[in-house]
Amino acid sequence: MTLSHLATEDVFVVERNDADFRGGQGMTKGLGIVFRKFRKALFGKPNSDRADTEGQFNVQYPEERLAIPEAYRNMPILLYDDATGHELCTSCFQCERICPPQVIHITQAKDPATGKPVPAAAKFVLEYDTCMSCGYCAEVCPFDAIKMDHDFELSTANHPELDVDYNRLLRPVSYYETIAPTMWSEVKEQAMKKLQNNIKRRPGDIGRDHGQKIKGGAPVAAAATPAAGAAPAAGAAKPRGPVAAIGKNMSEDKTAKLLAIRAANAAKRGGGAADAAPVAQAAPVVETVADAPAAASAAPTGPVAAIGQNMSEDKRAKLEAIRAAKRAQRGE
Amino acid sequence: MADALTQLGFASWLSVLIASIIKVTLILVGGSVGMMFLTWYERRSISYMQDRRGPNRVGPQGLLQPISEAIKTMTKEDATPRDADKIVHFLAPVVMLGATVLSFAVIPWGRMFPVDLNAAVLFVIATGGLHSIGMMMAGWGSNNKFALLGGMRGVAQLISYEIPQVMAIIPVVLMTGSMSLQKIVEAQNDFAGLGWYVFSPVGLLGFALFFTASLAEGERTPFDIPEADSEIIAGYMTEYSGMKFAVFYLSNYMSNLAVCFITATLYLGGGNGPGVDALGGIAGGLLSLIYFLLKSFALFFVMVLIRATVPRLRVDQLMSFAWKFLLPLVLVNILSASFWVALLRWDQQWPKLTEWFGAPSTADATNWGRLAIAIVLTLLINAGAVALIMRLTNRNVQKHLYTTDEELALGLS
Ligand code: SF4
Ligand code: SF4
Repeated sequence: MTLSHLATEDVFVVERNDADFRGGQGMTKGLGIVFRKFRKALFGKPNSDRADTEGQFNVQYPEERLAIPEAYRNMPILLYDDATGHELCTSCFQCERICPPQVIHITQAKDPATGKPVPAAAKFVLEYDTCMSCGYCAEVCPFDAIKMDHDFELSTANHPELDVDYNRLLRPVSYYETIAPTMWSEVKEQAMKKLQNNIKRRPGDIGRDHGQKIKGGAPVAAAATPAAGAAPAAGAAKPRGPVAAIGKNMSEDKTAKLLAIRAANAAKRGGGAADAAPVAQAAPVVETVADAPAAASAAPTGPVAAIGQNMSEDKRAKLEAIRAAKRAQRGE
Repeated sequence: MADALTQLGFASWLSVLIASIIKVTLILVGGSVGMMFLTWYERRSISYMQDRRGPNRVGPQGLLQPISEAIKTMTKEDATPRDADKIVHFLAPVVMLGATVLSFAVIPWGRMFPVDLNAAVLFVIATGGLHSIGMMMAGWGSNNKFALLGGMRGVAQLISYEIPQVMAIIPVVLMTGSMSLQKIVEAQNDFAGLGWYVFSPVGLLGFALFFTASLAEGERTPFDIPEADSEIIAGYMTEYSGMKFAVFYLSNYMSNLAVCFITATLYLGGGNGPGVDALGGIAGGLLSLIYFLLKSFALFFVMVLIRATVPRLRVDQLMSFAWKFLLPLVLVNILSASFWVALLRWDQQWPKLTEWFGAPSTADATNWGRLAIAIVLTLLINAGAVALIMRLTNRNVQKHLYTTDEELALGLS
């Protein structure tokens, strides 16, 4: 057998010719190779040429470090704007919902005057110990508020410390720009535009009071407070129809399309009487489970809109049909 | 040493006692410090063979790493399985370590002999045989299937390899005419300290065979079947932790060290080397100690090199290697050793030999003619035997291990 298709300079090929006398030549050759590697590693210079197979390739970690690639992801962090101190997070719960191990916990901020929810998070806790660094949260965030950090030296003897709260999650945008410049430049414009929209709907200091205690962050300019505060107050006063709730950042005709699709779906389901009843039954249950503000405000458009925040509509219908059949079986 | 103490005015029984205590302490300390150094040495050298650096943080070049590890194992919890045979479980590491330490009693440190037994070779073999008892105790006492499997494998392996190992020493004993390690070392002092047995055809083959068999005795990697991690966790050590595990580890490395020492003594001339006799006295003793340690650690380096190169054998390969390869060669080697002795030493019994080849060689005057004939004869016998047995083994291997495409197509084999 030959390995000629592999026989390049980097591959050691030990020919095993069964017809020849085998008196330990293979073993001697192997020992020779290992000894040469020993010699090269011990006396040779550090070798960073990965195409080479001999030499000393180790990076002496605490003293020497390899450059971390931009897309490297370790733990999620939250961003805030350097200039205004406003957090990018709008408490839309997308990350909390997608997180596979369910380690993100958000409480939405409320306007103290009206009690209405505001697009900002009051509390944001992330369990670093159970986070699996999948990066889904950063992927899904529509506001580019949550990003994956490069800092991996997080070991601690104090376990509760790994439930990281808002203050310790926040980093300035400028920090993220240093660790991932191209990735940030791709989304920068859009993220900042969305932030400006959200700031308009944030009364007072909501959405920026966490920014005061950030390590490495630029201190929040106090002068910016009143000006920024005025705009959100105006925004909050705006009457909110269902359209507004569905998506500030969604264009009008997109919203219209969405509504049309929903209506069509509802009509379809109306056709099959067997399906319609369970769907209506299921609606209230779903409403309490779904904690997204969009779901609550979309309620007037009918139970159909609220259904299936997590589950697709016809899946749920099927489930209900099965349940009904079971109930019938039991003779109720 | 006891005599010197008596001269200082101690009672004779007291001086013997003190001398013995000092010797025992030296052996124990030397053995365990040697073992610590050995773990560091093995880890560093195998690291470089694998393009790594190994422990290099604790102390200069990581030399204090074994100490930190000793502290770690000592402070670990010592767990005994609930269903274990407590006494046997506890005694197994003690037996293992005891057997190993005993063999250190006769090891010559250069020109220094702790004890000069007249049957030291036998003593070393006997203490080495005790290992299998400790292994079986550990395997049985743990009440764990992996431990028992490891123990059984260990005993089977040790018993098989003891035979070629012991028989590989016979040529040395024949050539020296004594079982005392001191005599064996002295007999290799010809040619300005370079008359090592390994330079003769008989000694060379004997050295290779003995060293290989000793690898198996010491469970070094190509033969580490009793503790094959990928198959049976840690073999007979599976249920051991903390200090007891450390004692097993200590005993393993000390027995490896002992193997290197014994091999260096038997075949590489012990502490003999150029310049030892010329210096004489304490300086000569120190030089011989250095020679001895250099030889032993070079041997250990070969062990590490083999460990880094050769993958573990299967059990059947292990057994056929011992019985079909080592044993016949060892027997042939004994034959050629007899020819060697006959040609070099035998005269009174058979005067014709003296008539043909002149007087036998002594340490003072070597009979070059006899030596040349002996070398040629033994070389022929040994080389022929090696070639023959390798060819036979090859044929066997090919017959049993390779299937041709036709056979596969027919569903045979
Ligand atoms: S990286 Fe993955 S596991 Fe971690 S918080 Fe984000 S979504 Fe959850
Ligand atoms: S997805 Fe982004 S904006 Fe939404 S809650 Fe998570 S971090 Fe905040």
